[in-house]
Amino acid sequence: MALIEVSGVHVRFGDRVVLESIDLTVPEGEFHGLMGPNGAGKTTFFNVLTGRVKPSRGSIRFDGEDVTGLSSHRIAAKGVARSFQIMTLFDEFSARENVMVGLPGFRARGFDMRHAAAGDRGFAEKASEILVTVGLADKGDTRAKDLSYGDRRALEIAVALGQGPRVLCLDEPTSGLGSDGVQRLATLVGRLKGKLTIVAIEHDMEFLFSLADRISVIHWGQVVARGAPHELQQNEWVKRSNLGRFA
Amino acid sequence: MASPLLVLDQVRKVYTRGRVVRRPTFTLEANLVIDRPAVIGVVGPNGAGKTTLFEMMTGSNAPSSGRVYVAGTDIHKVKYRERDRLAIHYHQTYQVRRFRKLVPSILLEKSPTPAPMVHLFDEPQFNLQDGYIGFMLDFFRKLRAEGRLVVVCLHPTAAWHLEILAEIAEQYLLVADGGVTRQPDFATLTREPRFRSYLGPELTRAAEALCAGRAAARP
Repeated sequence: MALIEVSGVHVRFGDRVVLESIDLTVPEGEFHGLMGPNGAGKTTFFNVLTGRVKPSRGSIRFDGEDVTGLSSHRIAAKGVARSFQIMTLFDEFSARENVMVGLPGFRARGFDMRHAAAGDRGFAEKASEILVTVGLADKGDTRAKDLSYGDRRALEIAVALGQGPRVLCLDEPTSGLGSDGVQRLATLVGRLKGKLTIVAIEHDMEFLFSLADRISVIHWGQVVARGAPHELQQNEWVKRSNLGRFA
Repeated sequence: MASPLLVLDQVRKVYTRGRVVRRPTFTLEANLVIDRPAVIGVVGPNGAGKTTLFEMMTGSNAPSSGRVYVAGTDIHKVKYRERDRLAIHYHQTYQVRRFRKLVPSILLEKSPTPAPMVHLFDEPQFNLQDGYIGFMLDFFRKLRAEGRLVVVCLHPTAAWHLEILAEIAEQYLLVADGGVTRQPDFATLTREPRFRSYLGPELTRAAEALCAGRAAARP
């Protein structure tokens, strides 16, 4: 059984149809890429997947369970974590504290930072472990606002990983990064690949074509093409384009 | 027998100027039957009425006279919210869903089909660099294979636009001089003087070269 099963999702805001009909099946452990021109509906689809927008029609199943219309925190609790196109970090907190705040047990205790920092070593250790995974081992005490852009991206992923998700949704993870940053992120995401299910919206085709198991191309609010990177590259027009280079 | 996918029965649209003495400023007439799934290319100069034609086909702009049938149903008599289950209109990347509401929806009929049978793409944005052209063209073919009618309006400004037109469509509608004429294939379209004058000399030569290449490639 697939971990994510999306069927016939339709979203409209007033007279504006953003998603016509989206179907998507992602088996556990797959890295599934989403690409498409601006305004194709990719981010809206993410919002539906993570419970921020309710679809007008269609259904979303997670691990066999119907989660259509559940609120975003309920869906997060089921193991779906996401990063955003625009970064959402607590700038005044250290990298470690940002990760700690996202840990599920930590939230249950409340947001008293002094108490947390002094009292419970467990959370700090857990957060430090996650920082090692994303390559921020030595930046745990640095305030988020003092981190480089690439480090902030990595920290965002660390915050998402803190939830212990089964699915990681990444919305344009490479946006704003230079080529070194993209390379570093590709290494990080490559390490996560296979350990958890990843769904990523991405404009950097080299990044996507080298990492994704399968890619869905979204246009006009529907999936116009889907396949493994090498399958999508068979298309004659794709060969003629810049995408042809990543074969 | 199933109804034809699209019928424009003596359709006529007139835009007028003046309240007392109405002088027509624009007239478009169309009379055609498309009975099977196809990909149809629509071409014609600016202002000839391509968008008006699309709007009449999708039920967002009522003809002055005549009827538009989609899958056997007069689309202008279907509930506004359900018209997109018969025909759907994309302008570039967005779906167009503005209906002039002349009659309360409650007096209108339901759509007989759950998913649109006619898909209109008004100047989809093609870009050679990103490779999406291939995916879009495959999508049109997939819709046709599923029994839908695909109508693509393209405004050729480069030789490769003509290449797309020749590759994807099996027949064409030329919208010009207040009428819509059907062209059975790309070679016939290229011989049509109104199409040639619309293209201009350079693109006409490109179209002819394309026809020659296609004829040579044929076994």
